[in-house]
Amino acid sequence: MSTPMTAAEMRKILASRKIQRVVVLGANGTMGFGSAALFTTAVPEVTFLARTKEKAEEGLAAAIKQVRSPTVASRATTGDYDNDLVAAVAGADLVFEALTEDMAIKKEIFDKIEAARGDDSIVATVTSGLSINSLCEGRSESFRKNFLGLHFFNPPNVIVGTELIAGNDTDPAIVDFIDAFSQLRLGREMVRTFDTPGFAGNRVGFKLMNECAQLAGERGPLLVDKLVGPYTGRAMTPLATVDLVGWDIHRAIVDNVYANTNDEAHETNKLPDFMAKLMDKGVLGNKAGGGFFKRDGKKRLVLDPSTGDYTPEEEIKLPDLAYIDEVSALHRDGRYKEGMAVFLNAEGEYAKIARGVIAGYIAYAFERVGEVTETIDGIDRIMGLGFNAAPPSVLVDAFGAQGVVDMIGEAGLAVPSALAEAAKTGKPPRFFTHSRINIGRFFVAG
Amino acid sequence: MAAGSEVYILGGYQTDFARNWTKENKHFSALMRESVHGALETCEIAPEEVESAHVGNFAAELYCMQGHLGAFFTETDPAFSGLPTGRHEAACASGSIALLAASAEIEAGRYDLQAVVGIEQMKTVSSDVGGSYLGTAAWYEHEAEGIAAPFPKLFGKLGDEYDKRYGLNDEHLAEISKINYANAKLNPNAQTRTWYMNKEHALTHTDDNPAIGGRVRISDCSQVTDGAVTLFLASREYAEKWARGVGKKLSEIPRIKGWGHNTARLKFADKVAESANDQFVLPHVRSTIASAMKRAGIDGVDGIDGIETHDCFTTSEYMAIDHFGITAPGESWKAVEEGWLEIDGKHPINPSGGLIGAGHPVGATGCRQVLDSYLQVTNQAGAYQVEGAKNFQTLNIGGSGTTSVSFVVGI
Repeated sequence: MSTPMTAAEMRKILASRKIQRVVVLGANGTMGFGSAALFTTAVPEVTFLARTKEKAEEGLAAAIKQVRSPTVASRATTGDYDNDLVAAVAGADLVFEALTEDMAIKKEIFDKIEAARGDDSIVATVTSGLSINSLCEGRSESFRKNFLGLHFFNPPNVIVGTELIAGNDTDPAIVDFIDAFSQLRLGREMVRTFDTPGFAGNRVGFKLMNECAQLAGERGPLLVDKLVGPYTGRAMTPLATVDLVGWDIHRAIVDNVYANTNDEAHETNKLPDFMAKLMDKGVLGNKAGGGFFKRDGKKRLVLDPSTGDYTPEEEIKLPDLAYIDEVSALHRDGRYKEGMAVFLNAEGEYAKIARGVIAGYIAYAFERVGEVTETIDGIDRIMGLGFNAAPPSVLVDAFGAQGVVDMIGEAGLAVPSALAEAAKTGKPPRFFTHSRINIGRFFVAG
Repeated sequence: MAAGSEVYILGGYQTDFARNWTKENKHFSALMRESVHGALETCEIAPEEVESAHVGNFAAELYCMQGHLGAFFTETDPAFSGLPTGRHEAACASGSIALLAASAEIEAGRYDLQAVVGIEQMKTVSSDVGGSYLGTAAWYEHEAEGIAAPFPKLFGKLGDEYDKRYGLNDEHLAEISKINYANAKLNPNAQTRTWYMNKEHALTHTDDNPAIGGRVRISDCSQVTDGAVTLFLASREYAEKWARGVGKKLSEIPRIKGWGHNTARLKFADKVAESANDQFVLPHVRSTIASAMKRAGIDGVDGIDGIETHDCFTTSEYMAIDHFGITAPGESWKAVEEGWLEIDGKHPINPSGGLIGAGHPVGATGCRQVLDSYLQVTNQAGAYQVEGAKNFQTLNIGGSGTTSVSFVVGI
C-alpha cells in the first residue's frame, strides 16, 4: 500500500506533471479556506468557490487571517458554483472538494465536477471519514482513476499529519504523485490508509475521545479530563478537544464509525445519550458558547451532563490525584519512562480508570493494523502528527510491553497478538523507531 | 587510543525546534536529557561507553537562570556521574567550539568516545528581553545597550556594506529567505515547517513583515528557538569497533575531515574598517572556510556537495555565498538568480532550512549544522536529501562575524 519514496524519486514524480491551478469547493468552510491557504504556498492560482461569491470572499478573508499574509490574495480568485464552477474546474489541475460531510451534498457537486473537468485533472476530497469508493461510485472511469481522499487535519496550515486514501480504481501513479506533491511542496507527513470509516486517525483518535465523553456522563468532565490529561501523552485534554472540534463534528464521526463498523470495542464509539439531548438544546462546543467546558469571563465552568447546568470549576471537589503530580514532575525533567512507571503502578480506582482508557486506546490501535493501515506505523504517525497525541507504539515503549499487557488485562480487554508476543519474547525491543520524531513532545508536564 | 587519530561522527539526535519547552512546562534539564538519550538510542551506544562530554551553550544564565551546564550532563544518566565534562561559550558559535574541543581531545588521544551537546532554551523571555540578551554577543556597551533588536541592525549594516562596495538588491535577500523556508517544510524538526512564506511575502513591506534592522525585515531573520542537539564523536579505534557492532564498514562512517576557526575583533565597525581594502567583506570568515577546505584536502567549493551555513539573517547567507567561493566576491546574487542554492542546484545551501527555516537555538546551531551534514553524507536526510552527497561543509558564526568555525564532514 505505501512505498516510502526517496527525495530523488519524489522529485522525479513531481516533475512528471504540473499543479498550476487548484479549485477549492466549499472554500468558506474551515477545512476549505484552510486548505486553500495551504495550496497558495505552492500553487500560483487557487480558486475559492462557494455557494455565493460573497461566501467565497469570506473564505479568502479567513484564509488571509489564518496564515497572516496578504499575499494569499495575489494567488487567489473567487467565484460561485452557478457562474464560475464550470470554467474554473475545466481549467484546474486539481479539484479539491471540502463541502459538508454529507454524502448526498458531495455527490451533487461531483455531478457538476464530472461534467466540467478535463480528463486528466485530479479530484481530491478532504472527507474525514466517508467512503472514497462510495463517493465515486457510478462515475466515469476517468473520474474514478483520478479520484482520492486527501485528508488534512484542522487547521491545515498547522497540522502536518495528512491521510491519503485511494479508492479501488484510483491510478497508483496519481496516489504517488499527490503523495510526493504533498510532501515536497506542502510539507505534509503522509499516511496512507485503507478506505474504512474514519480512516486511521479519526477511527482511533475519536474512540478515545468518545470513551472519555461516555465516562464524563458518570464521573463528570472535570475529573475525566484530569485523569486522561496531558501526562498520559497529549497536548490537549480529550473533552476540551471535543469542544474545540465541535460536538456536531464529533457526532458525525463517531456515528459514521458506529454505524459502519462492528469491532471489539463497538460500544465505545456510541455517542452518549446526554450529548445527543444537549445538542438538541444547542450545545455544540466552543463555536456555540460552550460544551463540556464554558468560559465566563476569567472563570471556567464545567458541564453537569445529567442536568445541562454549569458549575464553576473551583466549586467542584476532586479526589486525591497526587500520582498525577508525581508523573508531571518526572515529565518536567524529561524522565518520561519513570513518569509512566509511576502511572502504571499508581494505586486506587482513579488511576485504574485512566489506565483503562489508555489501555483501550493502545489495544484498539494494535487491533486495527491490517484494517485501517498496513502496519502500526501509519496509526502511530497520524496519532502523533495529526492528533498531537502519543502514538500507541510510543506508549508501549514507555510502559514496556509487559506493562501494557498488564494494563490491558486489568481493563478486561483482549491483548493484541503483537503485544503479547513482545511481552513474551522482548522483541521488538522498541516499537517506535523514528529517530526524527521526538517522543518527548507528547508527554506534557501537566 | 593513538594520538593523531581521525575524528569520526557516529551520529546524533536533534530535538524538534518547533517545540516550546516552557509551554510543555519542562525544565532545561529535560531538553538536554531528551537530546542525549535520543542520541544514545539512535546510535545504539550504551551510556557506560561515553568517556567525556562537552556542552556548547551561549546564555543559560540569562535565559534559564542556570549555569554549570557541563555538570548538567551528568544528570542525564546515572552512568555519567564522575565523567569529565565542561561547557563552552562563543555566542552563536558555542556548539562548534564544543565540537572543536571534543575533536581536539580525540586527536590528542585522550578519549575514544565523546558526547557533544549544543543547547539553548530561549522562549523563556519576551522578544525584547531576548533581543537584549543576544546583544551580549556583540560589545554590549558600545553596540547593544539601549538599542532595540541590536543584531538585526548589525546584520542590516552587513547588507549596507555590500550595497556600498558591490550593490545589493533586496529581492535577492527575499529569495534566500524563500528558499530557506521552503527547505524547512521538508525537515521534520524545523521550527518554521508550518509557517506561511513565499517570495511575495518576503518582499511585503507591511505590518505583516516589518523592518526591524534597517533593510532587515522579519522575513530576513532567523528564529528564537528552544533546542538541543547531541552528537557522538569517536576515535578511529572506537569507530571501527562500533561500526562492526551496528553492521557497518568504517568507510561508511563520516569523519570531520577538516576544520577552520578564526576570531575577529568584536565590533562590527572595526571588522569593516579592517577589510576596507580586502575583496572579502569579512576576511576572517573567508579564512575559516578556506582553512577547513584545505585541511580536508578539498580544492575549492566544487569539491563540496552542500553547505549548512549560518544564515542568522539573509545578509549573512548572502555574505557566505561569495566567501565560500561559489561566486566572485560581490557577485553572490548570481548564485541566487541561477538557482544554484536550491536542494537540486549546483551548490545547495541549507537544505535543512538553516537558521531562518530550521531555527536558531543559539548554542545548538553549530551542532545542528554538523548533524545535518552527517545526515546528508549518510543519505539519511529524507525529503531534504541532496542526492549523492559525500562532502558537506558548515559555517557557524558567533557575533557579527566575530567567531567563525567551519567543518568539512565527509565519507
